[in-house]
Amino acid sequence: MNLKICWMYHDLMDLYGDKGNVQVLKIRAQKRHIECIVDTCSLKEEKDLSNYDLLFIGGGADKEQSLLVEDLLSRKENIQKAMDEGSFVLLICGGYQLFGKYYLDGDGNKIEGLGFFDYYTESASRDVRCIGNIAIEADVEGEKFKAVGFENHGGQTKNVSTPFGRVLSGQGNSFGCGFEGFYNGSVLGTYMHGPLLPKNPQIADLILRKALKKRYGDVKLEQLDDTLENKAREVMLTRILKA
Amino acid sequence: MKLLLIKGIHFLLSLMGRGGSLPGTIALKMDADILKKFKMPEKVIMVTGTNGKTTTSNLIVESFAKAGYRVIGNRKGDNLKEGIVTLLCTHSSLRYEVQADVVVLEVDELTVMRVFKDLGVTTFVVNNFFRDQLDRAGEMETIVRRIESVLDDYEGHLILNANDPNVVRLADRAKKADIHYYGVGKNAVSSETSNEASEGKFCPRCGRPLHYDYYQYSHIGKFACECGFGKNDIEYFVDAIDYENETFTMNQKTYHSFQNAIYAIYNCAAVLCCMGVNGVSDECANEVFKTFTMHKGRNELFDLNGKCLLNLVKNPTGANEVMKAIMKNHEDKNIMIILNDHDQDGRDVSWIWDAHFDLLIDEHTKRILCSGTRAYDIALRMKYEGYENIEVYEHVEDGIIRLKELKEDAYVIATYTALQSTRSIIRRHAS
Repeated sequence: MNLKICWMYHDLMDLYGDKGNVQVLKIRAQKRHIECIVDTCSLKEEKDLSNYDLLFIGGGADKEQSLLVEDLLSRKENIQKAMDEGSFVLLICGGYQLFGKYYLDGDGNKIEGLGFFDYYTESASRDVRCIGNIAIEADVEGEKFKAVGFENHGGQTKNVSTPFGRVLSGQGNSFGCGFEGFYNGSVLGTYMHGPLLPKNPQIADLILRKALKKRYGDVKLEQLDDTLENKAREVMLTRILKA
Repeated sequence: MKLLLIKGIHFLLSLMGRGGSLPGTIALKMDADILKKFKMPEKVIMVTGTNGKTTTSNLIVESFAKAGYRVIGNRKGDNLKEGIVTLLCTHSSLRYEVQADVVVLEVDELTVMRVFKDLGVTTFVVNNFFRDQLDRAGEMETIVRRIESVLDDYEGHLILNANDPNVVRLADRAKKADIHYYGVGKNAVSSETSNEASEGKFCPRCGRPLHYDYYQYSHIGKFACECGFGKNDIEYFVDAIDYENETFTMNQKTYHSFQNAIYAIYNCAAVLCCMGVNGVSDECANEVFKTFTMHKGRNELFDLNGKCLLNLVKNPTGANEVMKAIMKNHEDKNIMIILNDHDQDGRDVSWIWDAHFDLLIDEHTKRILCSGTRAYDIALRMKYEGYENIEVYEHVEDGIIRLKELKEDAYVIATYTALQSTRSIIRRHAS
């Protein structure tokens, strides 16, 4: 069994340690004896994204985001094909924003998004950002669990029909909105850096199962020793929720 | 009257062994415009940048002192507005006349905008911009823009690191300033590619990809763009480094380096440039380089039942350099990492995933001990690098005791707020 990941714009969208997510997926697959192939795809590279089980885009600064948008839009049909064929998509911060209708950046430039979903993002002024530790309760196909991360975004994402979770502490999609991220069963978009996956192994395994499903159907993943991961999450949950 | 009160408060605090920024905080509460009142001396040097500003400004202070100037500086790294106010209050007459020939200020990048115009800066030194504490600034772009915003009317000396594109970019805004560049040429640690550079990918002027002839560390190196960006005359250029003899040459003269590392050479070049434009003999700086010692806890050696070396880490670039230095030792070793997430460390610890902690893993690294408020985060960082011998100590002291029991050499790296407390603990257990 193998898992094919395409890490898109790895050289541009790599802020706040988001690369750690790829590392976690790779190691957790390998521990289950699943070979993990990580390819990258940046500006002007020819690549058929529908060949991958998982597409990943991390966060980037406004400047980087505007540099890649043209390239991203040129891949719209190909990404749609990948999603139609069952590829899973993980999007952090900037990547999450670009899958919506548009992004209005801190200088008032409107960046067109892929428009796959109805949400859109408008930047708060340049000096105001949602920054801090965040705890959420995710609600994924009937299963509820808590997750922690660190958010750092000026963009305020509105009109999210199916959020990833409820905010227990922090901001989420926009100041005080109460909900975080987007999840529709095949795309997970979130503002949670940290990076997201090391301290939230349930999310990592959810993504692995969803991605493997494309070619292998329902896969049961062997339980790993997550003592350190769970402890790391508990420490932060206790601290965040007490504050 | 207010000034007398502040001086009194500072005196009382110093009797209690405290000081730092508290008197300045009180002064600013009483008079928010107090900085405007000081009569500054003829030479006001400001140093900013992500890494090396404390060291660079201290080297400048000592070089001026060596040349016979009366010089003051915020030497302990109190680099926010409050710390600067404290310094000026305690070194001025009751008529706000600063009693020194030269003031040297290390200033936090985000604080520059809040103090620059009030201070009458005559020489402004900018070292580098690395990713650091983005939980305060949001993005690197914000930091650079805020510093640019003070440059439009600035007419003094502007000293820039020619090997950092985000620093060189400042020249485009400083139309009235007298610009001087320093840089370092190809040497034994230079390489044609880099897996550390997270900035410097695109030309800040035209947006095209930047081309690098060589990298020194992180994104620092010789770059250029086809639009002409990066093509500057470098007046203070280190053309050779002799790591064996701990010397370097600049404009046909040989100097000592105070620390045998590429980033230290950059600090020396900045200092020589600063002294040069201020008409001070380079010999004074060279004398200082020979005897300069770093701050406590920075590359400090202890005897903890064997060798124990303590170092500070703050951001990916600094951490990578510290780790490279540790791994030059091929003896068996244990490494302890203390990761805190207080305001001064950065509340966002995701930077540990941007740093190359994989550097620490080889057959000589027997154990990695993790501690600090984010002990489990650093433990996970090592776990997902494939390292297995991880020990977590929620209390730093338990980890230090463990290091003492073990026979291998010990290396301790700590983030800012953990450094001095860890140092005290090591000293307690050291012989």
